[in-house]
Amino acid sequence: MDLLGNLAHGFYVALSFQNLLFALIGALIGTAIGVLPGIGPVATISLLLPITFGQPATTAIIMLAGIYYGAQYGGSTTAILLNLPGEISSVVTTLEGYKMARNGRAGAALATSALASFFAGTVATVVVAGSGPLLTSVALSFGPADYFSLMLLGLIISAVLAQGSVLKSISMVVLGVALGLVGTDVQTGQQRFTFGVPELSDGIGFVALAMGMFGIAEIILNLERPEARSVLKTKVGSLFLTREEFRRATPSVLRGTAVGTCLGILPGGGASLSSFGSYMMERKVSKNRHLFGTGAIEGVAGPEAANNAAAQTSFIPLLTLGIPSNAVMALMVGALIIQGIQPGPRMVEAQPDLFWGLICSMWIGNVMLLIINLPMIGMWVKLLQVPYKFLYPAILVFCCIGSYSINNNVFDVYMTVLFAVFGVVCSKLKMEPAPLLIGFVLGPMMEEHLRRAMLLSRGDPMVFVERPISATMLAIASVALIAMLLPSLRKGKEAAMAG
Amino acid sequence: MLSRRALLAGGAAVAALPVDARAQDLSAAASSGVAAWPTQPIRLVVPFAPGGTTDLVARMLAQGLQDRLGQPFIIENRPGAGATVGSQQVAQAAPDCHTLLMSNIASHGIAPTLYRTLRYDAVKDFTHVALVVSNPSVFVANPRFAGPTLADVARLSREAPRGIDIASSGSGSSNHLLIVQFGQAANARVNHVPYRGAGPAMTDVIAGVVPLMSDSLPSAAGHIRQGSVRAVAMASAERHPAFPEVPTFREQGIDLVSDSWFGLSGPAGMPPAVVQRLSQSTLAVLAEPGLRIRFTELGGTPGALSPSGYTEFVRAEVARWAPVVRASGAEVG
Repeated sequence: MDLLGNLAHGFYVALSFQNLLFALIGALIGTAIGVLPGIGPVATISLLLPITFGQPATTAIIMLAGIYYGAQYGGSTTAILLNLPGEISSVVTTLEGYKMARNGRAGAALATSALASFFAGTVATVVVAGSGPLLTSVALSFGPADYFSLMLLGLIISAVLAQGSVLKSISMVVLGVALGLVGTDVQTGQQRFTFGVPELSDGIGFVALAMGMFGIAEIILNLERPEARSVLKTKVGSLFLTREEFRRATPSVLRGTAVGTCLGILPGGGASLSSFGSYMMERKVSKNRHLFGTGAIEGVAGPEAANNAAAQTSFIPLLTLGIPSNAVMALMVGALIIQGIQPGPRMVEAQPDLFWGLICSMWIGNVMLLIINLPMIGMWVKLLQVPYKFLYPAILVFCCIGSYSINNNVFDVYMTVLFAVFGVVCSKLKMEPAPLLIGFVLGPMMEEHLRRAMLLSRGDPMVFVERPISATMLAIASVALIAMLLPSLRKGKEAAMAG
Repeated sequence: MLSRRALLAGGAAVAALPVDARAQDLSAAASSGVAAWPTQPIRLVVPFAPGGTTDLVARMLAQGLQDRLGQPFIIENRPGAGATVGSQQVAQAAPDCHTLLMSNIASHGIAPTLYRTLRYDAVKDFTHVALVVSNPSVFVANPRFAGPTLADVARLSREAPRGIDIASSGSGSSNHLLIVQFGQAANARVNHVPYRGAGPAMTDVIAGVVPLMSDSLPSAAGHIRQGSVRAVAMASAERHPAFPEVPTFREQGIDLVSDSWFGLSGPAGMPPAVVQRLSQSTLAVLAEPGLRIRFTELGGTPGALSPSGYTEFVRAEVARWAPVVRASGAEVG
């Protein structure tokens, strides 16, 4: 069967009443849990897993996939409205999205996020359908050395994220790397910086860190300045995008889609790089880069597109190799295995209904999310007009439930509180939390890949320049580093000449 | 609402039991002081993240126990520190028989030696109820790897200037320990390459970054069936029914058997009557043909041990792994 025939078959499966219904249920549940801070798709899908035992495999996986995308959309909503990132990808959305909300453009930010996600999801779905199996070889050609160089490139470019002092931003990246190293060392099994606390042996939780440093710290700061709270109550402006905003966002969406589609394919942490990558790119190439940090729509459109494209293409390693690229995917593999289906290269032939039905329902799910989300923007924005004294206790309660539900452990709640205090201190010192989170996410992955590459090469560092992918990444990284340092060097030289 | 449902369920259960069985049950309940257990939903703590083998096994078991005991079984994933975080929480729970644990080789076989500061005793601090499933480890190779047998692997490892790379799902895992045992038994020069879980390790084996991997059969089964990796040797006593074509370590002249296992346990001091009832229900669930087929497909063998049998089993496992863990050099502070 050719691609069109396959897609037609997929739509035939996905558009059956039952599958359509469960795609809708999944999208609705996903949106709901995405909006509740901290309650992620992992907790939800594991709760709902027993329900899928009795469903046909295709229906089950369509519903779970719906929850996954729905949570991505919902997560952006809290990031924009409340500065509460629930996932790595929505950290970037808080940077410009929350500022847009404070400027009275919450509706536009939400609409941008929904439309950008939809567009990127559509493109990425076509990529998955058209060349999924082919792209697997790309994913497999990335070895540990290549991943290391890719992460290094990401970390170096992340200095771009600095909104104020570069020095402060770099120290936050380094601090983030240090926090990321807490836990059990993968190579030796030794505990590092855990102080004998068993809960720390798997590292500091991302949600505790992000929710504390962004969301809860923001609440504390808002409560401190009464005038800041009233900002949230200012007029919300037009709910939809102005023509000018639409024109500004379009190229960013296109670039973000390309970045996300490519990075999502890599199972070793590519998806978590996608929204950072897109944000950095926008800050460098967009026409309005001077507006970044004040609520630039490009900074919402690009990363949101990248994030959703990556969420879509990260299905490629799952569907073609049978290897989950994150915890949600691991649960989906579990759901399939319980049904007696092993995801992997033979699934395309052995289970065409499932494979093509899932791909088509990805797109249908995106349409549904657009339909669910666009009309709800008005409602979400009204949420900001709820008096803050009612809003903030509710947010705190949900944050509390959310951080508890990750490991069903109170320890994570304490960690969230600790990071909230730390977040307030950082804010007072004008230290940005975003670079810290990048260091936190990329640092440990970089270390793991570096040491594995060295272990496999028996300690020969030449492996990083001998492999073409790795060498290319390192070359780009050095160019970026030089480009960043040159202006300051030249400035110094000119000053010296003048003096 | 709740009381009505409980009444209905209770009524149905009582009606279904023959008279003498009911009398027996009541007298047992009266003597032990646990009238009509279970009276409320039961928490089954899975000390691993959702989606893994333990989680899947627990969910299938929970479904069966729920149907037999008339109370919902709620799976609670409490991952962390090689399954010791969740295990410790259950060890400290009240023995009211409404908190149970998926005990397993990591937390109850290896951790007692691996972790210097473990805060529970794998035998004394628990009431062990039943062995649920055990599954062998298996050596798999990239299909292009030129060594079809263990003897080839050992020979190639001695010929290579710096030994041969073998991946595992993590340092201190039973799969890692099998690599250590293999190196000793076959006089092979192995270079252990640990990963953060089986998924990333399998990716690198399929990609050919690492030629070999020691994996648990459930996570490797699908990849073996699909031909993306080749099974070299199964670390079971006999050939596995789901993979009769894969020779064992013993057949290839290396006397190694390595099973990872999961069981049902609770805090120490659970009343014997409840333990008995739970054990019988578990064995009945494990005897269901549908479940047996699923477990076998996954690569596991359903367990059939009494509470005392499982307790002895755990004790023997702790003793068995202690020297291997020490030989591996792995230790967690």
